[in-house]
Amino acid sequence: MSFDGYKEVINEGDTVILYLTISQVYNVKAEGKTLNKKGQQVENIFQTPYGALKCAELIGKTYGTKIQLSKGWGYILQPTPELWTITLPHRTQIIYTPDISMIILQLEIKPGSIVIESGTGSGSLSHALIRAIKPQGHLYTFDFHELRTKTAGQEFQDHGLANYVTVTHRDVCCNGFGEDLNEKADAVFLDLPHPWLAVPHAVKALKSIGGRLCSFSPCIEQVQKTCCELKNFGFQEIQTLEVLQTQYNVQIRQFPTLDVEFLKYPKTEEVEKKDREVQKCLTAIPPAQQPGHTGYLTFASLYPIWARTVNKNEVDSD
Amino acid sequence: MEQSQEIQVGDQIIVQRQGYTKLHKLKKHGNMVIGKFTVQMDNIIGQKYFDTFQMKNYSQNNKLYILEKVEDGKNVGNAVNIETSGMDNRNIVSDESAQTLTKDDIDELQNSELNSNAIVEKLINNSKTFNMKTEYSQEKYIKKKEKKYFEYLQIRKPTIRLLTNMFYRQDPTKTLGIRIDDLSQILTYANIHSDGNHLLYDSGSSGLMSAAVMNAIGANTSGTLIHMHPGNECQKNAFLAMQFPEEQTHRCINVNLYSVLRCFYQNKNSFVDNICNDTEDKSEGEPEPKKAKLDGEPTQLTPKEPQWKLDNESACKILNNKCDSLIVTAKEHPVNIVKELLQFLQGGRQMVVFSVTKEPLQDLFIYLKGRLDIIAIKLSNNFLRNYQVLPERTHPEMMMNTGGFILSAVKLNS
Ligand SMILES: C[S@@+](CC[C@H](N)C(=O)[O-])C[C@H]1O[C@@H](n2cnc3c(N)ncnc32)[C@H](O)[C@@H]1O
Repeated sequence: MSFDGYKEVINEGDTVILYLTISQVYNVKAEGKTLNKKGQQVENIFQTPYGALKCAELIGKTYGTKIQLSKGWGYILQPTPELWTITLPHRTQIIYTPDISMIILQLEIKPGSIVIESGTGSGSLSHALIRAIKPQGHLYTFDFHELRTKTAGQEFQDHGLANYVTVTHRDVCCNGFGEDLNEKADAVFLDLPHPWLAVPHAVKALKSIGGRLCSFSPCIEQVQKTCCELKNFGFQEIQTLEVLQTQYNVQIRQFPTLDVEFLKYPKTEEVEKKDREVQKCLTAIPPAQQPGHTGYLTFASLYPIWARTVNKNEVDSD
Repeated sequence: MEQSQEIQVGDQIIVQRQGYTKLHKLKKHGNMVIGKFTVQMDNIIGQKYFDTFQMKNYSQNNKLYILEKVEDGKNVGNAVNIETSGMDNRNIVSDESAQTLTKDDIDELQNSELNSNAIVEKLINNSKTFNMKTEYSQEKYIKKKEKKYFEYLQIRKPTIRLLTNMFYRQDPTKTLGIRIDDLSQILTYANIHSDGNHLLYDSGSSGLMSAAVMNAIGANTSGTLIHMHPGNECQKNAFLAMQFPEEQTHRCINVNLYSVLRCFYQNKNSFVDNICNDTEDKSEGEPEPKKAKLDGEPTQLTPKEPQWKLDNESACKILNNKCDSLIVTAKEHPVNIVKELLQFLQGGRQMVVFSVTKEPLQDLFIYLKGRLDIIAIKLSNNFLRNYQVLPERTHPEMMMNTGGFILSAVKLNS
């Protein structure tokens, strides 16, 4: 229950981020007991490279403090959608923070927005969407994989976010987002293998005063089909882009310097061999290897009814 | 919660012409300069946002234009037909004679009632070499011509997305070089949302940062923003453009950095409860910032306590209880300012610092690494690429730009 609002102290049942190093970040549950693979109740112990953590010990501790492990220490943090994204259990490919940030800003999502998302997948994007629409807004998220919707629903419940989100098991390409959502949405987000099939449903779901759409696709062919369909359905401001983030490691490096000055003078016995000189330099080093592609983001606007280029009835009668 | 869709006098509007956008405050009988034209804006009053208007020459006056609503906006913007493109541009000789219309002909066209699609079409038909140009240069040609002759305008309500792109296109230095991807990540890494008290030091984003944070905090929520700035008045172009409801505007407390810190250190009794409030306020000397109301009129509140002082006190009250995020978008070197403001950040919370150059953030990185209460220090930047997506003609756009650098970190409880 630790995703809704800022907290000071860890309560039983909270999801807690265990931060060891920049590349060793995990989520644990502040609970004494957990179920093992056979479904039996066992003590909730989390193994880290620096020793074991008895999760019951987290309860009552303050967020943002150090915690002792048997062979070192870690830090316990309240989860944010960003920390959740890098620690969550993967059930599908997920969307990461650079893309998520762009999606939220470009979809013009703010507190109070009604947002539709499909598919739910592992809920990486959903957590950030919920944070953005809280407290009066709502996220309707759809997936045609039943277990994924159940697991995501359980997660939202556990995280104290259930009031802000409705998870529905449905094939949105075949069956759309449902009559109840007709003209209700401010924004529609698609992360589907065939996003273009959901475009007509998105038109129905977006408000009559208009709204924004985003589709995330790894392949350019998907983008082309989607853009074509968006154009057919009267979307405007269609824009495709990609964002790639590079993280730098900042270090003070020592570079040996070369001295060639002495070559200009005849050799003499007296000249002492000087210590090798080094020069210090502040450097920002990018990783030797990093992801070169995540997905293309396609954004588009559906203008208000009075400014649409294709009117809906024409589309419906096709 | 839907805002009015009717364009009204006093509204801040974004006027979009081709790919170009400009912010304008709509006044009665007001003119607006758009490119080479002076446009009388009255005819958009009472119309709706997203409506399209055509610029029409106003009787005899060659320079003055009025706007006429396009009733059937549906066909506007349908680009001119482009004939199939040549393989490359080996046959093209760059000389003016390739265009068979003379400048006078073109002026003539512009004065006649032709719409710009027709003008562009005519130009194309009269360009001997158009069909020999490659697809890329054809598009460039059309774009160039359209830009010059396109006289349709669309009126939009400002949003953070539109404003960010508009400022960046007009002059990135006016917003410290913050590109849309930078802004989006500053907001997420700082965990800005409807809840909490947020702290921003901004010295030159034309109000874009305070506007974006307040937009993410939202209307009718509990979040507040302390917006520290170095000047007499904070920059607020973008903030005003957003036309937040009063309730929301009030949750953004604009304070001068020096004056609020002086209040914090030297005037504790003005904001800490349970201290007898008997000592006189001692702050004098330096010119204190003049707090003006948003529309520029001087505030007429209680005569003895000027608004800026009340703002300082309410800001200090919040600072004293610490904030839930810290954002620094500064022209100055960030180390000193972060050093000072970190005391106001609650443990377990996020900080984000933006800079258009990497080196100041490298220094900050090393400084923060030396502190025991800062973890998860990350320095990053983005590669942002736009694509043209057209059947058989999909490729990255020819132009791209460079964004800035973002440092994020988490503060611990000591
Ligand atoms: C890549 S995942 C989404 C990941 C998610 N955006 C995240 O950040 O965690 C795609 C999801 O779409 C679902 N899906 C695919 N086709 C669908 C359809 N037609 N209707 C509903 N869901 C669909 C899949 O089951 C899968 O869970």
